[in-house]
Amino acid sequence: MNTLSMPMRRPLALPQSVMRSFQAEPRFAGMALLLLLAMVPTLFAMLVDPRLFNGINVWDKPLKFELALAVYLATLAWFSVYLPRNLIESNRYRLYSWVVVTAIALEIVWVSGSAANGAASHFNVEGIMGAIYALMGVLAVTLTSASLVQGVVFWRDSKSGLNPQVRLSLALGLVLTFVLTIIVAGYMSSSQGHWVGGNNSDVESFPLTGWARDGGDLRVAHFFATHALHFIPLVGLVASRTLKPAGAAASVWGASLAYCAFVGFAFVQALSGRPFAAF
Amino acid sequence: MTPDDMFKIANGIALAGWLALLASPFASVWSERIAAAIIPLLLSVAYTGLVLAFWSGAQGGFDSLANVELLFQTREVVLAGWLHYLAFDLFVGAWEVRTARREGISFLLVLPCLLLTFLFGPVGFLLFNALRLVRRLSPSSVPA
Repeated sequence: MNTLSMPMRRPLALPQSVMRSFQAEPRFAGMALLLLLAMVPTLFAMLVDPRLFNGINVWDKPLKFELALAVYLATLAWFSVYLPRNLIESNRYRLYSWVVVTAIALEIVWVSGSAANGAASHFNVEGIMGAIYALMGVLAVTLTSASLVQGVVFWRDSKSGLNPQVRLSLALGLVLTFVLTIIVAGYMSSSQGHWVGGNNSDVESFPLTGWARDGGDLRVAHFFATHALHFIPLVGLVASRTLKPAGAAASVWGASLAYCAFVGFAFVQALSGRPFAAF
Repeated sequence: MTPDDMFKIANGIALAGWLALLASPFASVWSERIAAAIIPLLLSVAYTGLVLAFWSGAQGGFDSLANVELLFQTREVVLAGWLHYLAFDLFVGAWEVRTARREGISFLLVLPCLLLTFLFGPVGFLLFNALRLVRRLSPSSVPA
């Protein structure tokens, strides 16, 4: 299993990237894999549990959280390959990354535990669940802060061997994931719920994401806010291979601005009670 | 001794075994002796005695869920079933601790597995093996 003899500069080839992600950030990569594995018993619970919450199976939400957080951690682990070695192997970074992984584990325990009890996890302000909900907000900010930390490190790491426009896109995408998510999810968590208007049910919602079709749904803006760390680096990667440096940098900045505007549009659209799309 | 008395005593003994596992970073040899041998064997002796004494008098069997339910209408047989859990869950917990030490897995990571094995046996067994799989995929982990 120890393929340490692999060539050093072959980024983006997936299986090797996976191996290198494990090497660079074993905690994030390992937790991502654990979350994917956790989906198997969660799916089994879904098969045998007839209980519904908001009209859909109680295990739908834990399943989505496991998948979403696995994608988030796998992405951060992959980006870690390009972070400065001396930082990522420092004790304080290791400690920080353990804190992030622990926050994610607790988040999953909370969402799954609530599902097992047929109770609401988010927006539950009653009694002890309300106190836990507040604590989970702190953990959610902690786990999201990992993208801010990586973004700032990419921004500052001028000695990085990365293409400068790719590095810029990583920095902007990661920082925007944190900033936009904190704004959108922060507002959402202090509201009564993520629905605005509509019949407040998950039945007849968008496939997979579960967004409401009959009213506003703040989860749309949360989704796109959090995926800035995918979209903007993708623009950077494509632009750096097809355009001259100046044009590539302008594309990355332009795409970042446009993306912020798009998230803002989805946010305002939901606030005004309109569904994301009519189909 | 009533089944209820035996139940209480067996629970106490099993708990002592789990505490021994918690102490394994400080006393690995005795922790292993207690949790993987002495206590599971003690519980197995009690189990065997209960089965010898009460199995023939109980109704039901292993062939259908309804028959298993019938089996558990005899209190001494329920007690035997409980001892079975206690003995084997502890044995699995001891195996997790031993395997983690051999494979260089931090005891801090074993703790949640032990807690789950103690409460919901197979869940902890599953988590521990998921952790092992993750570590095996990680090229930075070199088993000692």
